[in-house]
Amino acid sequence: MNVAGIDLEVLRRAGLGGAPPILLLHGIDTIRPEAPFLDGLAELGEVIAPSHPGFGKSPRPEDFDTVYDLVHLYLSVLDAIPAERVRMIGFSFGGWVAAELAAAGHRKLDRLVLVDPVGIKLGGREERDIAHFFNTSPDELNCRAWHDPTKRPANCYGLGWHSAIGDAMSDDDMIRLARGWDALCLYGWRPHMFNPQLKQWLHRISAPTLALWGASDGIVTPEYGRAYAGLIPGARFDMMDAAGHHPELEQPAAFIERVRGFFQDGHP
Amino acid sequence: MELWNHCENPYPFVPNEVLDQAESVRASLPNKYCDPKIAAQLYDEIFDEYRLCDDIGINIVTNEHHSGINNLWAASPVITGVVARLTRKVRILSLGTLVTVRPDPVRVAEEYATIDVLSKGRLEIGFVKSGATEMVSGDANPMRIREREWEAIDLIEKSLVTQDGPFSWEGKFFIHPHVNIWPRPYQQPRPEFWAATSDLPTCAELGRRNIVNTLLFGGYDRTRQAFDAYKQARTEAKMPAPGEDRFSYMAFAYVGDTDEEGMRIGQKIAWFLTVSIKSSPQFSKFQPGAVAPEMAPAAWRSGASRRPRPTNLDAEVLIGQGQMFAGNADTVARQIREFRTRVGGICHIIMMTRQGLVTHAEAEASFTRAAKYVLPQLQDLPPIDTDETAWHARRAADAAQ
Repeated sequence: MNVAGIDLEVLRRAGLGGAPPILLLHGIDTIRPEAPFLDGLAELGEVIAPSHPGFGKSPRPEDFDTVYDLVHLYLSVLDAIPAERVRMIGFSFGGWVAAELAAAGHRKLDRLVLVDPVGIKLGGREERDIAHFFNTSPDELNCRAWHDPTKRPANCYGLGWHSAIGDAMSDDDMIRLARGWDALCLYGWRPHMFNPQLKQWLHRISAPTLALWGASDGIVTPEYGRAYAGLIPGARFDMMDAAGHHPELEQPAAFIERVRGFFQDGHP
Repeated sequence: MELWNHCENPYPFVPNEVLDQAESVRASLPNKYCDPKIAAQLYDEIFDEYRLCDDIGINIVTNEHHSGINNLWAASPVITGVVARLTRKVRILSLGTLVTVRPDPVRVAEEYATIDVLSKGRLEIGFVKSGATEMVSGDANPMRIREREWEAIDLIEKSLVTQDGPFSWEGKFFIHPHVNIWPRPYQQPRPEFWAATSDLPTCAELGRRNIVNTLLFGGYDRTRQAFDAYKQARTEAKMPAPGEDRFSYMAFAYVGDTDEEGMRIGQKIAWFLTVSIKSSPQFSKFQPGAVAPEMAPAAWRSGASRRPRPTNLDAEVLIGQGQMFAGNADTVARQIREFRTRVGGICHIIMMTRQGLVTHAEAEASFTRAAKYVLPQLQDLPPIDTDETAWHARRAADAAQ
């Protein structure tokens, strides 16, 4: 896909005819073809999963280095998708971008699902809302990000991916993770993974919204998630057991069930 | 040639069991382990060493690191300002303040101009890119630091040389609409610039800008390659060949009364490598930008970090690699002369002597011998024999194969 002169690697999964396509904004890593939720999601609509510039095989233009750039890029992606309505799911860092985009508004945005998103500051100045992605030890990140790190699906990575480095990880995976880690840092180092202004504009989100949270998330806690959802008019908050920061990977069936319910209900 | 004293003011008094258990001795070790009374004693001793150096003709280098046992110079401009008033004669090099961490290069320029005036024109300004734990303790994005460093250098230079300001700066990384520093520097148009790097493209850029290139513990081959890149860039730009005063090298150094003493005390300096760079993986090999993505598989699989901990730190090995000069005065002078030949010419030798568990008395004794017996042997040296330098390079390349 080429949007606004920017090449994007896109993973697509053909879906239910007639249903709005589903745009996925990934988090720490690109959406992998092996992701255990893809087939179930495709039953709800065509899945379109671009890799952010700097991630996967998407090049990053020289001066493309902020979340501001990502928001405008994905507004352009929404323009370019040949459908009148689009549903959007943002994971972790991608959830932040999705929330920014939804606050800016786009006429095609039909449903918004935020999965353990980062992006806002809620606590006091001496409270850390979001575990530091880059300054925390890999082992601690791995523990915080997963309900059970040993059940991470093969070839799918989230926070704490460093702990998976070993013979089973291919060179291509390492290079992809390294590229993404660099790009993520460029976009989100300071302030670390939030926009101080976003909180006061979440009320502008008009698309029906579901905030999904892993009950064991130690990166951004369910309390943070509940408060996040509370700032979005009419948003529904739902928690998934036995899942951490990446519930779509740890509990794919439960994840699909909730998204299906939300899409079919049509109303939060 | 000129000799320089570089001391990082380390704090080697944290109990070993604490250091062993700490995942990193930089950035995350709580400062409860730093006794301010001991720190005060260290400052006194090292400033006394600087006064001695001023008396005996050894120039002084300051720097800064943060949040760790390796360095108590928290702000190079502060320390350099003190040195400017403690000394009267020698050159003072700040190598340097961490411009990739400081939010406003204009303030850096103003601080340096102040020191240059304080010292009546004895300041030299050095730049270091830094990285790793410094990015953490300074909350500076570790990505794009090289570009940020160059923009900071450009803004500092313009701030120092502009005399009819204010001027405006709206760059990629720094915005300052009203730049007009007071005082302006004592030296005109500005103090000399230095930079510490072994990155070959950066060395080439230093050459084009006529900035003094310093290597830190690079050993014979990396240093020669870096200096060659500097020279080559000037040749390609049709600029005059650089003099030896454009090249500098920092090594561990101890001048003993005897070879045995030089080696024995020199061995203590290795604390810098064995203890003071211990750093957790998120502050080193996994830090964004630490390795190019295509190099990640090799770096991560081998467990190598950007600053791998050397496995053999025997003083003799370090000397053999050109990373340490140690022995009696004649031995050290010979080692430095050989280094000069093998790297193709150099003017500035920066001695890291007061390091690790080396004592105040030991440091002062070494500086005294260096000034009295080594420095005279480094004057009026014959021109570099380029054939001999090339012969050494070929021999090293053959040995590497």
